[in-house]
Amino acid sequence: MTLSASLNGAEQRRPSRLGRMLEDRLPYLIVAPAILILLLVGLFPLIYSLIVSFQRITMTENDTSFVGFLNYAELFRDARLWAALGHTAIITAIALPLELLIGFLMAQLFIDRMPGRQLFVALLVLPTVISPIVAGATWRLMFDIRFGPIGEILSFIAGEPVRILWTVNPAYVYPAIVICEVWQWSPFMFLLLLAALSNVDQSQLEAAEIDGASYLRVLRAIVLPAIAPVVAVACLIRGLDLVRIFDIIWALTEGGPGSRTETISLYTYVQGFSQFETSYTAAISFLVIALLTLITTLVLKRMELAR
Amino acid sequence: MKFRTILGAAAVLALAGASAPAADKDAADIAVDAAKKYAGTTISIVWEAGLQSLDPLNYSGPQWEKLTGIKVKVIEVPTDQMFTKIMQDFKSGAGAYDALNVIPSWMPDLARAGALEPLDKYVDKFGYRDELQDIAAAYRDNQMQYDGKIFGFPDDGDVMLLYYRKDIFEDPKVKEEFKAKFGYELAPPKDWKQFDEIGQFITDKMAPKVYGAGFFRTAPYPQYMFQERFRMEGGKFFNADTMKATVNGDVGLKVFKEMKAENKFMPPGVEQWNFVDNLAAFLQGTTAMTISWPPYGRWAAGYGSGEEALKWVPKSQVAGKVGYALTPLGRPELGVGFDLSVSATSKNKEAAYLFIQWLNSKKTSLERVQLPYTLRDPFRLSHYASEKYRGLWPDAPAYLDTIKTSGEKGLLDLSLLQQDKYDEAMTKAISSLWAGEDPKAILDRMAQQFDAITDKVGIDNQKAVYKVWAAKPGAYPQ
Amino acid sequence: MRVGKLPARKARILALRYLGAGVVTLLFLFPVYWLFMISFKTPDEIYHVPPLWIPGQIQFSNYYVLFKDGDVLAILNSLIVAGASSGIAIVLGTLCAYSLARFGTGGENLAMWIISQRMIPPIAVVFPIFLIYVYFGLVDGYFGLILIYTAFNLPYVIWMMRGYIVDVPLELEESALVDGLNRWEVIWKIVFPMVRAGLMATSVFTFVFAWNDFLFALVLTRTEVITFPVMLTHYFGGQSNFWGKIAAMSVLGTLPIFVAVSVMQRYLVRGISLGAVKG
Repeated sequence: MTLSASLNGAEQRRPSRLGRMLEDRLPYLIVAPAILILLLVGLFPLIYSLIVSFQRITMTENDTSFVGFLNYAELFRDARLWAALGHTAIITAIALPLELLIGFLMAQLFIDRMPGRQLFVALLVLPTVISPIVAGATWRLMFDIRFGPIGEILSFIAGEPVRILWTVNPAYVYPAIVICEVWQWSPFMFLLLLAALSNVDQSQLEAAEIDGASYLRVLRAIVLPAIAPVVAVACLIRGLDLVRIFDIIWALTEGGPGSRTETISLYTYVQGFSQFETSYTAAISFLVIALLTLITTLVLKRMELAR
Repeated sequence: MKFRTILGAAAVLALAGASAPAADKDAADIAVDAAKKYAGTTISIVWEAGLQSLDPLNYSGPQWEKLTGIKVKVIEVPTDQMFTKIMQDFKSGAGAYDALNVIPSWMPDLARAGALEPLDKYVDKFGYRDELQDIAAAYRDNQMQYDGKIFGFPDDGDVMLLYYRKDIFEDPKVKEEFKAKFGYELAPPKDWKQFDEIGQFITDKMAPKVYGAGFFRTAPYPQYMFQERFRMEGGKFFNADTMKATVNGDVGLKVFKEMKAENKFMPPGVEQWNFVDNLAAFLQGTTAMTISWPPYGRWAAGYGSGEEALKWVPKSQVAGKVGYALTPLGRPELGVGFDLSVSATSKNKEAAYLFIQWLNSKKTSLERVQLPYTLRDPFRLSHYASEKYRGLWPDAPAYLDTIKTSGEKGLLDLSLLQQDKYDEAMTKAISSLWAGEDPKAILDRMAQQFDAITDKVGIDNQKAVYKVWAAKPGAYPQ
Repeated sequence: MRVGKLPARKARILALRYLGAGVVTLLFLFPVYWLFMISFKTPDEIYHVPPLWIPGQIQFSNYYVLFKDGDVLAILNSLIVAGASSGIAIVLGTLCAYSLARFGTGGENLAMWIISQRMIPPIAVVFPIFLIYVYFGLVDGYFGLILIYTAFNLPYVIWMMRGYIVDVPLELEESALVDGLNRWEVIWKIVFPMVRAGLMATSVFTFVFAWNDFLFALVLTRTEVITFPVMLTHYFGGQSNFWGKIAAMSVLGTLPIFVAVSVMQRYLVRGISLGAVKG
């Protein structure tokens, strides 16, 4: 069953009992509560933000007159903003595939029965559960050149002292962030894929095994198509979350050195939270939403076409 | 100075006829008496989360309730969120905060936005003018008012001190060797050249057990050290007429280069050090010199080491071995500080005011700065002179005297409109310095950012504020 | 698969799998181990050069302090808020997902709108939401936080569960309908159990997202409902770093989820499915 097929609506069977009225309205009834809550909390703030983005509200000014696209024009002149978007793109492009790959490998490792699996799985979820703030702070301590074990371990492996200033040296800041991020979120992919793999049709797999199909063949022909819907959504969700990455970077580098690791959410935070540029922040937010919508739509369209 | 005129007038009025309480009772008692009529109410105060809020949570809050019947709700907020939460509360009209802790450099922005309640009328009503005079001039004259009106009471004597290892500096063998090599007596450095020489000397001799010095090098504090050194070497932040930033001239470059070069004789990884890393290194005896605020001095002496609240402080291996001095070139940066204020949207303004008057009063503040777990440093003349404080540990008298002198010679933090944006630019520039970027390029970029900020604020607006700030004796060394 | 009677090849593979599992677990758990150790270390041990791999002694004073000072209440608050919002989001979201998957309700537009909620940078909406909450008196209360977390988790639940539901063969539902069940019963008795694995996986993370949220918890609370992440940030001072408390609190904070996942994870993996699909 493909995503697009389901999107185009499956057949409905006329029930033999219960009023047709209720049945007919059921799809809408069960959608309603969720949508209601989303509207409540999603609509007003967005409209408010949109209006504000056309005003000039800053820390000290409360100018609610319409200033047109002033804030948006400024977006294009803001080099720091575009640098932030670039940094975000880099991190997302590197971390997402890594998380997917590692998560998949881990899921393959644990999908079949083995005694003690319960414990392994529960333990492996821990990194995701730890607050990102603490994860970032812990890795910072671990990367520390004097108090941290990473330097020791690397020195041991290399056979000579390894002295890397992970959070200061521009060459190593991104690896540090990606390591921490992938460490924390691969278990997410792992768990999701585990659930998806467990739903793969057993009988098909057994049939393939009897036929003597190679592992890779089985993977490509049976497993991947079956888990594709879940993988797609997982990547989408995780991708969107990566774009909003904040806590880990804040704890590791606070966007430094300089502004080198400043992602879009850090920049927005500094603008909106520390410096109260309410209107400008609103404009940035809509730019981000627009970009993300564009990317997501493109990606979804390509997924549809691939079917 | 305008303040003195007001003071003079108020003094005359007070003498002239106030059937006022002032004469026999001190400000603390006056506050308590006046507050009793609010017994049963609750006032909230925003305080820095963590160690700082132990003061109102464990000591001053309960005390106040006992004396007046007013409950104190402490709203703990991490420092980097404080400004935001105060602003958000103000702008939303929620009015959930009564009293506030405010960092002085935020005062122009907060006062201009209308978030702070002007306090002059309360000061006069409750006879607080006298005790305000007792606050050390550095804080009283620079961290209390904006635009001629009182918006907060300085409550923390933040100033940078040079801490050094007396035992090393007074060791005869070391002294002899040093004199032989450099031709002058080993003593706390009087300038940065001496600092380099002493630092390198100690590192050469004693590393890796002891290094010459260590500093905190990561955000958000190193920019205060830059502010100090830059000005002491003759630098000016802006051209007062055009308001163009002049931080990227020769002086700026010199300071940046020196700062980078110093890391050479500091422990490896110093570029990553924050306040606590630096503290740990000094307390463990790894660094022979460091520069920081007064708490280092107390903790290094082991004061409060048994306290539960200070358990996170590494054990001091250097108790009794620490000397205190002015920073090189003799005019230390004040650096941060805290004021007590009242929120303009509070629903209990008078009660909130009375609480902060009581907190800040001579009597109560003396107790508060002596709490073993406090981060509030002595800030009143009466604190420096207090026999009780001077008896807290053997070197306490030297400690207090150094703080007093440092305050007198202190340099003010740059405090303009949207100051946090300038601070951010400086912080980012310094972190780029450690990353190995070319100092000139960094400074040029920083100057550009400064100019962009000034443009956004409005050159004329900023020019006026800068003029006022630069005219203060503590702004630029004369 | 009974271990005792495995042919040599299978036994070798199993051994390799254990090796792999061991290595992976070691790598992933090392930082957790480090954090765990910090909760027992004294400050001198934390800042020790070279780093200490094992603390001098196991002492629980950091944990004790958390209980004594009542900081542990933050964990309770987070449990309530994350648990409630998770539960509500799962139920409402899965129902919604079913409707999208089987009926194509609202078509692509609705689905896109739902996922676009997750594209909104929280910063953009946190202040307006704060304003609404001030107006309705929802600040610093459980209901307000539960509401916002539910809202933020719904898109995730809807999209994830739609993916899992789509994997459930239509024939199962159709035969049930033919058997006389109405749609509502089909959802609860057939579909929900079939997507149990997906439900478990999804609910773990809706819980985690709500549990770890910092921004909304910070802005929308003051003193009454302090959640776990906010409590944690109190320990990171500009001039103090309560590493002992940070570590101990973090360890305590991972326990609820650790327990929950241990209990639930048997539904995640092969072995317990509702019978072969086609037979």
